[in-house]
Amino acid sequence: MAEFKLPKNSRVGQGKTWSAPDGASNVREFKVYRWHPDEGQNPRIDTFELDMDDCGPMVLDALIKIKNEVDPSLTFRRSCREGICGSCAMNIDGQNTLACTKACDEVDGAVRVYPLPHMPVVKDLVPDLTHFYAQYASIRPWIRTETATPPDRERLQSKEDRAKLDGLYECILCACCTTSCPSYWWNGDRYLGPAVLLQAYRWIVDSRDETTGERLDDLEDPFKLYRCHTIMNCAQTCPKGLNPAKAIAEIKKLMIERR
Amino acid sequence: MNLRTPVKDARGLGSAKDGVHHWWVQRLSAVALVPLVLWFAFSLAINAGGDYEAARAWIGSPFTAGAAILLIAAAFYHAQLGLQVVLEDYVDNKALEIVSLVVVKFLAAVLALTGILAVLSIAFGG
Amino acid sequence: MPSDNRPLSPHLQIYRLPFIVVLSITHRMAGVANTIGALLVIYWLVSLASGPDAFERAQAVLGSWLGLIILFLFSLGLFYHLCNGIRHLFWDVGKGFELDAAKRSGQAVIACAVGLTALVWIVAFATGGA
Repeated sequence: MAEFKLPKNSRVGQGKTWSAPDGASNVREFKVYRWHPDEGQNPRIDTFELDMDDCGPMVLDALIKIKNEVDPSLTFRRSCREGICGSCAMNIDGQNTLACTKACDEVDGAVRVYPLPHMPVVKDLVPDLTHFYAQYASIRPWIRTETATPPDRERLQSKEDRAKLDGLYECILCACCTTSCPSYWWNGDRYLGPAVLLQAYRWIVDSRDETTGERLDDLEDPFKLYRCHTIMNCAQTCPKGLNPAKAIAEIKKLMIERR
Repeated sequence: MNLRTPVKDARGLGSAKDGVHHWWVQRLSAVALVPLVLWFAFSLAINAGGDYEAARAWIGSPFTAGAAILLIAAAFYHAQLGLQVVLEDYVDNKALEIVSLVVVKFLAAVLALTGILAVLSIAFGG
Repeated sequence: MPSDNRPLSPHLQIYRLPFIVVLSITHRMAGVANTIGALLVIYWLVSLASGPDAFERAQAVLGSWLGLIILFLFSLGLFYHLCNGIRHLFWDVGKGFELDAAKRSGQAVIACAVGLTALVWIVAFATGGA
């Protein structure tokens, strides 16, 4: 039976509270998921009270402030701080998004920060994305042709064909969509998930690629593709405004069209 | 300790090269069911309160009997396809999944046959 | 082995499911419930085919207050699944995927399902069919 409840070792308990410094007026609570691999304990929620007058506007700013000034052991991924690298993807206020583009003001009440859902946790807010990356590699995300590359120029593409890649190439592989999909929660071992399927469609619809048929063959599977039931949590949560649900629907249309 | 590469685990047994048929017949049966269900629900609302003879006359009339048979066939086919997806989603144990899929398929066939025979016996029973 | 005891991050426990996702799971629940409702229809048809006594019994069971509640819920689930099914068919041809369109079509589905349910029961009581 798909496990709707968390396994015993994953149930979350109460953690420590770190109070705001004296004299702080604009205080907000951040409730952050913590887990340390060496402590042998279950995960817990730590509460950090921060003075927002002395903090940047985004949730990532708050996490960095906590790490710098309150608890240096808080562990999370981050890099560009501008919404393009995808490192800081996490669940904030119940929805998956990038911490660096989520303003604290968009959240009412305490800001709840959790790792991406239904993923093995390496430490604190860091999920294990190995399987996600392996699924991406399995669709072979590069141009494959029988025709040799022209020796003197690039493979050409019309403006209309290039326009078909809009809304697909911008994906930063942050995994927000895939880990928001309930189908991926229950069958993520075999279902490729919205991000990988969006990228699969990016290569299927690229006019320069010549192995479209094989790409479709590789996807035509009751689990790899057809676990998508158009739940649409992916499109709702994408921090870049992309629509994986629509891309998956286009793949399904191609499956019918080629019969 | 898992010594297999992550890509090995992700690729699994490869693509089944099948899946479009289920998707297509699920939609086909759905399209058929839209008019059939609307017709049956309202027709039943009008005709179901009568006595035994009136109900038999209604179900037994050629158009109603024919449409009812189409409805029963399409409905149980669509239901079986839908339940198959639900079981595939939620049942992790492969053996249990396959057994329950087979049970659902057989039950759907038996129930559809029962309904169709009931309608035929009313239509031809006089 | 360091990676053996990794916990699974919370999912249903913490995720704030948006409106369109709630409609999706409701569609599935209605579909499963409709299968049970279909059994009632088969029961009624078999009773009708089995003779006047069996038919009277079936009418009494389905016409009891509990039977009527179940039939009402069945009709609601049936029309909801039907209307949302049409919404799915539009998605299958690639239309209506923008978030605002999906939300509005979802609201329309609820309105139509409630409307059709009300209509069929009004018809049932008006024509003595209940």
